[in-house]
Amino acid sequence: MSKPKVGFFDFASCEGCQIELTNYGDAAFVELLNHIDIVEFREAMTETAEHLTIACIEGSFTREADRGRLENIRERSDIVIAYGACASTAGVNALKNHQKDFRKDVYGEDRNMPHLYSNDRAVPISEVIKVDYNVYGCPMDKYEFLDIVSHLVHGKEPVIPNHPVCIECKHNETICRYFEGDHCLGPVARAGCRAPCPADGIPCEACRGFVDNPNEEAMEKVLIKKGKLPEARAKHKSRIFTAFCRSDA
Amino acid sequence: MNKYFIKAQDFETFVTKLVEAKQVIGPVAKKSRFVFEKLKNSKELRLDYDVTVLPPKKEFFPTCQPIVKFEGDKFEGCVNVEEKILFGVHFYDIKALDMTDLLYNENHRDINYMAHREAATIVGSNVQNIAERAFFGTVGVHVKPKGHDAFLTKIDDGYLFETYTDKGEALVSFGTFTKAKKEHESNALDVNNRVMGKCPEVLDYVGYESVANKVRKAFNNTAFWEDCAKDCFSCGSCNIVCPTCYCFDVQDNWNVDQVSGTRTRKWDGCLTEDFAKISLGFGAQENFREKRGDRFRHRIMRKTTYLNAKLGGPACVGCGRCSMSCTSDIADPVNVINKIMEV
Ligand code: SF4
Ligand code: SF4
Ligand code: SF4
Ligand code: SF4
Ligand code: SF4
Repeated sequence: MSKPKVGFFDFASCEGCQIELTNYGDAAFVELLNHIDIVEFREAMTETAEHLTIACIEGSFTREADRGRLENIRERSDIVIAYGACASTAGVNALKNHQKDFRKDVYGEDRNMPHLYSNDRAVPISEVIKVDYNVYGCPMDKYEFLDIVSHLVHGKEPVIPNHPVCIECKHNETICRYFEGDHCLGPVARAGCRAPCPADGIPCEACRGFVDNPNEEAMEKVLIKKGKLPEARAKHKSRIFTAFCRSDA
Repeated sequence: MNKYFIKAQDFETFVTKLVEAKQVIGPVAKKSRFVFEKLKNSKELRLDYDVTVLPPKKEFFPTCQPIVKFEGDKFEGCVNVEEKILFGVHFYDIKALDMTDLLYNENHRDINYMAHREAATIVGSNVQNIAERAFFGTVGVHVKPKGHDAFLTKIDDGYLFETYTDKGEALVSFGTFTKAKKEHESNALDVNNRVMGKCPEVLDYVGYESVANKVRKAFNNTAFWEDCAKDCFSCGSCNIVCPTCYCFDVQDNWNVDQVSGTRTRKWDGCLTEDFAKISLGFGAQENFREKRGDRFRHRIMRKTTYLNAKLGGPACVGCGRCSMSCTSDIADPVNVINKIMEV
């Protein structure tokens, strides 16, 4: 692939993943710019490009008004990458999906002002347009993003893990949270982050979403039996980051 | 070769001297468990450990191992081999290392594993505390530990130290050893025999060939395997912690400069969903062990049956690591085998 033309776009998100992009360090980022042409980036430039090799989209789809913009990006782009949890799994935004009164909770008195209007459900970008690759995580891991882009620059298919975080705990020889009397969502969470949370002694909250075929029933059982969570909490536990991934989404 | 005795009060000095002179890897405490790690001093050494999270194989083949560095068309191996003493390895792990030695040495010889292995000195030690899911007393008992250089057994007033190779013999100069007496030897024999009867878990059927036959016959009992694997997360923990598992995955990653990069291999396991996913070319893929039950069955087949002819016994040493690491608690080979033998 010759020097790819890359654009960055944002939808409903905290823009934390864009910040993660700047965390490579100046020298490394400038080096990356030798290999890609950034042709569109709202935060930094006003131009728009007619054609993009790779469009990188951050954020969930949560306003009907954004549909056209997304469709337009898809039409102009060879490859679409959804990066970060909001874009790839709807992340924490999907927490509102099973709540009736989120508008009141969030906006209170102002909830009926027209510019605050959003859909009842936040969904990943892949629900609106075809997404070729997802970079999971809240925030996404800059090295994984780099790895996926590198593979594409070299004309190779990126490898995105489809096994649980547990395997990376084992690679690190981390003592399992369940051995420490804690709970953990790692058995259903998609690996690729190198399991930093259990390594630091805190449970995995599945910020990277689920593996393709998560065993939700078994997870609930383990959360109750080994994690000692009350039944209701075990049932809802995985909503934090994976409300949209759950079978009851 | 020779049998020595070292007094309890001289033992710490022996380990201290070893640690000062060599790279010594031994069991140390990590939170509620134990792991093999480079010893900084003799106090860290915990020969009273029950079982480590990962097997000592990781010293010859780290879980995530950079193997090649490349820059454009140029590439170079980047595995540095270091001399190490693995100190305090339980007999079941010695048996397992002997199996991986054979498996990595045959066909496409794994030069990276073998180079580390050959540069290592392995010192065994008797099992002072038994892991909560161990069943080494009833699996492959006819397969004897071999391939190690020395073995240490804690007896009443000290340790019996048996050397089998020159590498093992070379360690004697670091401590105050005397020639072992007959009673030291018989005490040690007794200690090592007794532990075999103390495992918390027991395979009801010890004849490994009859187990293999019955397990093989159960191959097509899909309902049985699906039922076993109902709560499986396909997390591969049971593979990764297993001392006789030897599968890995290899990937290339570029650095930011898009020219240089690293080829890394990582421990992989057949319980994960994508392990058996293969390319059929032209963008098509197939997974030849698509269902949880298929994958669960495969591991049990590998541990009880498939490798027996090659290894002269089952590819399971009864360490109990898989049972402990399985969050759903379904991986225990004892439960699966006993159930198959019942029907
Ligand atoms: S700490 Fe969590 S992710 Fe790690 S092995 Fe345990 S359950 Fe799996
Ligand atoms: S361990 Fe879990 S919560 Fe932590 S980064 Fe990985 S997927 Fe996210
Ligand atoms: S199958 Fe389980 S008990 Fe047997 S050697 Fe492997 S980890 Fe140990
Ligand atoms: S049991 Fe599975 S992971 Fe282990 S060595 Fe065999 S095929 Fe590999
Ligand atoms: S450790 Fe348990 S849950 Fe994980 S793959 Fe093995 S059998 Fe399945």
